[in-house]
Amino acid sequence: MVGGTIRPVSVGLARKFYLTGIFTALALSAIAGCVEGQSSSPNNAHVDLIAEERAFVAGRYLRVGVLFHLDKGWHIYWQNPGDSGEPPRIEWKLPTGLRAGPIEWPSPVRLGTGTIIDYGYEDRVLLMAPIHVLPGLVPISNATIAAEVKYIVCREVCIPGKASLSLAIPLPADQSVHLAEWRRIFEQTRSQFPKPAPSNWNISSVADKDRFILSVKGSRTRHAVFFPLEPSVIENSAPQDVVPTDDGFKMTLQASDQLLKSIPVLRGLLVFEDGRTFRIAAPVAVHAR
Amino acid sequence: MTGKPLMKKAITVVLATIFAGAFSLNAWAARVGQRAPDFMAADTNGKTHTLSEFAGKYVVLEWTNNGCPYTQKHYTSGNMQNLQRQWTSRGVVWLTVISSAPGEQGYMTAAQENSYVQKAGAAPTAVLLDPKGTLGHLYGAKTTPDMYVIDPQGMLIYEGAIDNRATTDPSDVKGAKNYVDTALSEAMAGKQVTTAATRSYGCSVKY
Repeated sequence: MVGGTIRPVSVGLARKFYLTGIFTALALSAIAGCVEGQSSSPNNAHVDLIAEERAFVAGRYLRVGVLFHLDKGWHIYWQNPGDSGEPPRIEWKLPTGLRAGPIEWPSPVRLGTGTIIDYGYEDRVLLMAPIHVLPGLVPISNATIAAEVKYIVCREVCIPGKASLSLAIPLPADQSVHLAEWRRIFEQTRSQFPKPAPSNWNISSVADKDRFILSVKGSRTRHAVFFPLEPSVIENSAPQDVVPTDDGFKMTLQASDQLLKSIPVLRGLLVFEDGRTFRIAAPVAVHAR
Repeated sequence: MTGKPLMKKAITVVLATIFAGAFSLNAWAARVGQRAPDFMAADTNGKTHTLSEFAGKYVVLEWTNNGCPYTQKHYTSGNMQNLQRQWTSRGVVWLTVISSAPGEQGYMTAAQENSYVQKAGAAPTAVLLDPKGTLGHLYGAKTTPDMYVIDPQGMLIYEGAIDNRATTDPSDVKGAKNYVDTALSEAMAGKQVTTAATRSYGCSVKY
């Protein structure tokens, strides 16, 4: 009952991927070659469950992650999807004694043009989570980690997707061969994590009628982009005027139509021209006239 | 200070304002607690409607795109049709709006939409065709669905999501809190609308 045209989907090992980063096409194809029982749903998105270690190591978290390979031009969403869309949801199914931490979101990109702006990921993204063994229990050596992933992948149109993935730990031989590549993807993803703002920066904001003036002291620039952590706080499509100051910069952020009451803290990411991303939480003072 | 640099600065300020204005179409968008902007749009039977023609009645604006999985969730489950029937029978004017541009998903000709409404058992008062996106931009509609509720005095009393389950799963309709239902019920009972604005969820409007 879909009104628009659905692109025919090509399933198979020989798929072209638009590459960023240091990986060779060959290496990526090897990873994306759907290992049976582990990855699924080729609706412009190829989803895999991968792990950073072969086995549990006592006293350490095991990081696993859902790896999305997206067809060119298609995207999935960040934890705050922006004006439209929905973030992917991962429901972990773990044996007793194991707990999964929250998804660790890499720095998103701005998507869309005009009056509808979204936040998300294109090409390839790994959404990782730490799995930890609850203390005081018998050490776990074998486990099946399973994940139910629900997501929406969009380009001009949106297609919902669902993937039921699982991974045996320790990794069997046919998956252990991928471990080196998988570890590189975890490393590369970590390098794209937002970092806490440097402690010597002074970050504050003022709510002035229908906008926020964000003030950052500690890094002078003309070009920075703010990604709000929460929806309905800023108008995503409004220009974010950046004005350098003597010791930093000020940024004007239009408040969202849906923001009906004042907020105490403005949380989000600041992304600089060189790609550095910082997590900020700016206390909000109300402008007294 | 000589005249020339001042003039140049003035021109820059004016240009910057226009430039900023051109991008912030939402500066003129509807805001909860304010008068809903009047509009003029043709329905699928060729009749032109304005908001002011419905003064004295509650009006619901429902942005739709029948190819979007979020919209389909509410239509395949019958949820949207039930809402339309339920509220129009209580005198609410329900206007479905299609702001998809020609060639984009959701775009429908008048004949196609009339046929769809009949097949789907939908019951809006009228379906407004907005292929240029004028009405959509006027209200700042971003997703399908995107819902606006206007009271008989012409004030916007709700804007945003249809309910609190932002998914494409039709089985999520049943347990969801329906914001449109709540807003209309509260307003008709003379109460303040408790949830007046939420982030709408859905596919982007295909302007």
